[in-house]
Amino acid sequence: MTNSNKTKTTGYKLTAADFKQINRRSLFGFQLGWNYERMQGSGYLYTILPQLRKLYGDDTPELKRMMKLHAQFFNTSNFFNTIVTGIDLALEEEEGEKSAETVNGIKTGLMGPFAAIGDAIFGALVPAIFGAIAADMAVKGNPLGVLIWVIACIAIMIFRWSQLKFAYREGTQLVTTMQHRLNALTAAATQLGVFMVGALVATMINVKIAWAPMIGDVKVDLQNNLDMLLPRLLPAVIVLGIYWMLGKKSMTSTKAIFIVLFISIALSALGVISK
Amino acid sequence: MTIAWWQILLLTLYAGYQILDELQINSSAGSAVFAGFISGLIMGDLKTGLYIGGMMQLTILGVGTFGGASRIDANSGTVLATAFAVSVGMDPKQAMAAIAVPVAALMIQTDILGRFANTYFAHKIDKDIENFQYKKIERHFLMGAISWSLSRMLPVFLALAFGGGLVSKVVGYLNGDLKWLGDGLSVAGAVLPAVGFAILLRYLPVKKNFAYLILGFVITAILTTIFGNIQTLGTSVMGLDKTLVANFNSLPMLAIALIGLALAYISYKNNTEKEQAPKAPAESAAVNNNSEGEIEDDEL
Repeated sequence: MTNSNKTKTTGYKLTAADFKQINRRSLFGFQLGWNYERMQGSGYLYTILPQLRKLYGDDTPELKRMMKLHAQFFNTSNFFNTIVTGIDLALEEEEGEKSAETVNGIKTGLMGPFAAIGDAIFGALVPAIFGAIAADMAVKGNPLGVLIWVIACIAIMIFRWSQLKFAYREGTQLVTTMQHRLNALTAAATQLGVFMVGALVATMINVKIAWAPMIGDVKVDLQNNLDMLLPRLLPAVIVLGIYWMLGKKSMTSTKAIFIVLFISIALSALGVISK
Repeated sequence: MTIAWWQILLLTLYAGYQILDELQINSSAGSAVFAGFISGLIMGDLKTGLYIGGMMQLTILGVGTFGGASRIDANSGTVLATAFAVSVGMDPKQAMAAIAVPVAALMIQTDILGRFANTYFAHKIDKDIENFQYKKIERHFLMGAISWSLSRMLPVFLALAFGGGLVSKVVGYLNGDLKWLGDGLSVAGAVLPAVGFAILLRYLPVKKNFAYLILGFVITAILTTIFGNIQTLGTSVMGLDKTLVANFNSLPMLAIALIGLALAYISYKNNTEKEQAPKAPAESAAVNNNSEGEIEDDEL
């Protein structure tokens, strides 16, 4: 492997300008070609195409083989995709076309775990925390929360920009060394997420029981009785009910939204709940 | 008031842009609350826009782009609901339940269409690779932006341009003969965020972190009651005594988030310190728990 004649690359080494170009393409173009067949496949090729051409030289059979390889099925979190790219390019730069199988293994091996972490942090937690703050302020008529979310997103963009070079330098070792840190971070972030959901349940669902049955000639204010037990108990019960419903087979979030819509209208028409 | 042509144009352009933003740089311009903000600005009623956007944001809180599945398009729903709520004078809560939610669900279909269209471009790229046509590879890749944008722009434009008459008729009924339905829609609008929270709990390892759920809920429930009561008290006292001038704000969510952050930080510290001593293969944390009870597919 140390014999560079056999690697059939041009011997090109990636420069700062290359990283910039990959990052730019990743940030502004990675998922434009998303499709059902290969998902981010063409996006992966697009982000590193100029670098592949430099590494293998234009119109060579090696380039064609690698272009084909990189256009295959790929799907991961678009917040972590350049980590895979960085490790991949470090390998290809070193070993050229011979690394094809390793590269393929790394790509398919890493896309799953990074998709999971990315979805957990950026698909669920960031919207849960910043989306909740923004929405909470927005509902009260204050646009400041929207701005806070934008600022948080810019910080995330900087993080996305920085990881390519880092992954390129660390190479394959990265995955093992980072594993634990990442796990601890994800665990802490999920705790914050769960905490925030609890807070949201207590503030954002504003319905109360309107039904007040007469027992004898005493009117029983059910809502007030509930409040004495624990304020905001009704919203908590509603969320737990929907949580249970979502666990049913063949239940989707869209179905759940419509079921809740219809049940709410029915209960409101019957005078059981009101705003 | 009808929707002016330039308002239709701007809203349509935003509808096309927001999906690209969400796919790419993710500046949060592709979020429902931002959609409400921008359509509120365009329609000249920021408050209504923010309200509808905020409520929609909460409703879809947990519906991320999991595994590339098509999902409910809350942004286009928010844009249309805000536009019609302002132009026809509809109650924002009703607009959210009656327009934003159904529109958002319908738009899943155009999303699927857009993703299919991109398969065509992917095959074009295969051919370009064979022929070493680098420029064409890039061009065919970037064309994906067109199918993405059009999948949002076309329906939003058509609805804005031709939907007004229908919506004002519906609003007439909701305020007249069908008042029970109108009220019901308002209540539904208030309940819908519960779905967003429940979905989010499905994705988070909630069983392991149940203590945090209780803490978040109880701390906030108590504080929001106190803040609410003080507000009510303060406002009525101010009505009685004109010399009392004070601002009674509601509970700030950021403060609650910081309590949560502190708790999470403590547990992070504990976790990493424990790990200083060399240890056998790290047990995979949180992430794996997601698989149980996760919603596999968001499509209808």
